[in-house]
Amino acid sequence: MKELIPFRWPKEWTDASYLRWLKGTPINCLVGEHAPPFPLGDYEFVKWDPAQPPAGVTIREGVWPRVLPASKKDAAEAGATGAAWVDSNAGVIRLAQTLEPGKPVWLDYTAPGGNEIVPLDRFARAVAEAQAYGAHWIITLSPAFSVGLAKESQEAAAAWKRIVAALNLFRAHPEWKSYEPVAALAVVSSFEGEAELLSQEFVKLVPRRHLACRIVRTQDLSEDSLKGLKAVVYIDAQPPEGEVRKKLMAFAEGGGLLIAPQGLAGGEPAEVKIGYRIYRAGKGRIAAPPEAWYDPYLLMGEVHQLLSHREDVVRVWNGPDMNSHFVATPSQDRGVVHLIHYGSGLTPPVTLGFQRRYRSARVLTLEGARTIQPFPGGLGEEFPVGEFASYAAVEVMS
Amino acid sequence: MKPRAMDSGRVLTRRQAIAAAAGPYLAAVAPSALASSPPLVSAARCASYGEAVTPVLRKMFEHLGGIGSLVAGKTVAVKINMESPLRERTGFRPAWYSRWTHPDVIRAAVALFAEAGAKRIRILESSCEDDHPLEENFILGGWDPDKILKAAPNVEMENTAGLGYGKRYHRIEVKGKPYIYPGFDVNHSYVECDVMVSMAKLKEHRLLGLALTMENMLGITPVTIYGESAGYEEPALRPYGRRTMFETGYRQPSEPSPKEVDPHSPRDPGYRLPRVIADVLRARPVHLAILDGIETQTASETVTVEPGLGRKIRLVQPGVLIAGLNPVATDAVGAAVMGFDPLADRPKPPFERADSFLRLAEEAGLGPRDLSKIALRGDPLKDLRFSFREQL
Repeated sequence: MKELIPFRWPKEWTDASYLRWLKGTPINCLVGEHAPPFPLGDYEFVKWDPAQPPAGVTIREGVWPRVLPASKKDAAEAGATGAAWVDSNAGVIRLAQTLEPGKPVWLDYTAPGGNEIVPLDRFARAVAEAQAYGAHWIITLSPAFSVGLAKESQEAAAAWKRIVAALNLFRAHPEWKSYEPVAALAVVSSFEGEAELLSQEFVKLVPRRHLACRIVRTQDLSEDSLKGLKAVVYIDAQPPEGEVRKKLMAFAEGGGLLIAPQGLAGGEPAEVKIGYRIYRAGKGRIAAPPEAWYDPYLLMGEVHQLLSHREDVVRVWNGPDMNSHFVATPSQDRGVVHLIHYGSGLTPPVTLGFQRRYRSARVLTLEGARTIQPFPGGLGEEFPVGEFASYAAVEVMS
Repeated sequence: MKPRAMDSGRVLTRRQAIAAAAGPYLAAVAPSALASSPPLVSAARCASYGEAVTPVLRKMFEHLGGIGSLVAGKTVAVKINMESPLRERTGFRPAWYSRWTHPDVIRAAVALFAEAGAKRIRILESSCEDDHPLEENFILGGWDPDKILKAAPNVEMENTAGLGYGKRYHRIEVKGKPYIYPGFDVNHSYVECDVMVSMAKLKEHRLLGLALTMENMLGITPVTIYGESAGYEEPALRPYGRRTMFETGYRQPSEPSPKEVDPHSPRDPGYRLPRVIADVLRARPVHLAILDGIETQTASETVTVEPGLGRKIRLVQPGVLIAGLNPVATDAVGAAVMGFDPLADRPKPPFERADSFLRLAEEAGLGPRDLSKIALRGDPLKDLRFSFREQL
């Protein structure tokens, strides 16, 4: 089935001449409430009706990806982390992919309106963010952008070029879509009912700590889904039962760390760490919290500590307003780290470190590509990625 | 949000517990170096990290008369410098080479303390970001903490930004007339020790001019009480934020920690911060001060420079180690090595923006800053000098 790259046809574009902006780009699908009144050629048209989303596609409401602007001058809104709050669609996309596996995910949102002026070059970040996580943003230009393109303004044309560069970058690397997330941790949950808020917020927050995870719905849990992992956090109101319990216990007994609500193990713990009672289970451990979880941010920090930063599959320095998403082949001999920068301007010089050894790396941005060489770091080799604006892909090879 | 029960090592300390903790511990602490005159400071060339550090540091300790009498059979607390943010670097260079005490210097010192008979060695630092174990923060910075933990038997680490592994905070009181605060409440590690070592980077400071072993001791104050997210009625459960109150006096520490002696004193950060340093040093004396100047950076103690400073951060390699039994004397030698006059005061460099903490510490009886009153050992100062301001 052909992959659709959706673009919302701007109402300011009133005739077929505007199709020139789409010609030669990966965009192949127009979205709108009504089909434009002219022949669309090879473009597929998807009628937009929020009540009846197109068949075979998972639609999710997204947010404009960015560091939340300040309500006070020269400051940014603080989030639960105390650091600047980042609006990201990473968790929304990954949850959609987990809950509706196999279906393409489209994000639906627009740039902030009102009095806020959104620099046009930020639209490329929205495109790249969705693509990095294997989804599509229904590219929706702001009125200023579409009018700017209609008038052939330099700023709008340059910003459009960046959008196309982002689309082309991903089109040139179809293999990235077949890569799987690299992680030492799995989040296992039903993601619904009593567990919905905590589990879904957990998944949305983890990118802020560069804590990589595999997301597994309880009903999809299998031995394979936990293969190669160091730890599992089972987020539900009650401890697992039946087959789920068996599989999770087998994971722990095989040497893994299972972090789960109280009730899986009893008696005297082998140790107490950050309040968690740690019980031995075969070759592995079970960690039970001192009380029921209630705060996803605290839970995330605790899970990261129980797992240890030593298990971070990728380490990022100088990336405070950045998501990292590492995907790789099953053998992990080739992979790519998607870096999405949510702040404005250029990043500081970014460095990446990996748990396993990679021989070389290539940085691909919307501006170009270059090869980088590793240098020795305190925990292994590190790669000097450097500065970039919105997005960088770091391809690594063993 | 409701408070959480923590494990036995992290129970929330109540105000009564803190007050009751007003310490008997520190009465036993009186650095012998304060009495020695003139204080000994050793400075030596050390071109690189790695195996080169241990023999140089060993020789420097010999210059100080040996450290056996200081550490044998004792619990040694080592306050290192690992200032937040933990995941930020100057360029691509890991912070160990620019802002933080390098692990090779820590490891060498730990090995030498153990060799000299130290019973227990505790590596301490407080993070303004989190209450992770310090070991985790080493990993965040990009270093394996095991390289230090395995350098000798009985080596431990603790993040002292909050209660850490302690059950309550402990009060330390300023000896003599305080400048700003009459005392501080601190993590147990700073009182449950026999020997206090401050091990810092040789670097500049955006406000103080210099960030050396004395400034490093500001970091013994818990972020839960003195940080931007400190509680008001009681210490925060978790640490977050810089200790801005020390600079601006915009608020007082969490209850029931000691408040400023004069809340109407100047709010000028350049007045306040150097005085707070002198207060901290009088409340928690330092027995051994070590400066890592093998590699460092100029212009700032963080990854950015103050707006309008007109200077850029440069990574530099002075190739120097400095150690002394008196922190004022050690920092004075450090200032001289950096090309500054330790007798200078505001507004002369490096004290353009703040009163000289060296002068204030000297006036508080903490030690001399005049090089003529310091017994300098090791390599001649003129051979070690590395002017930070010439790196513009």
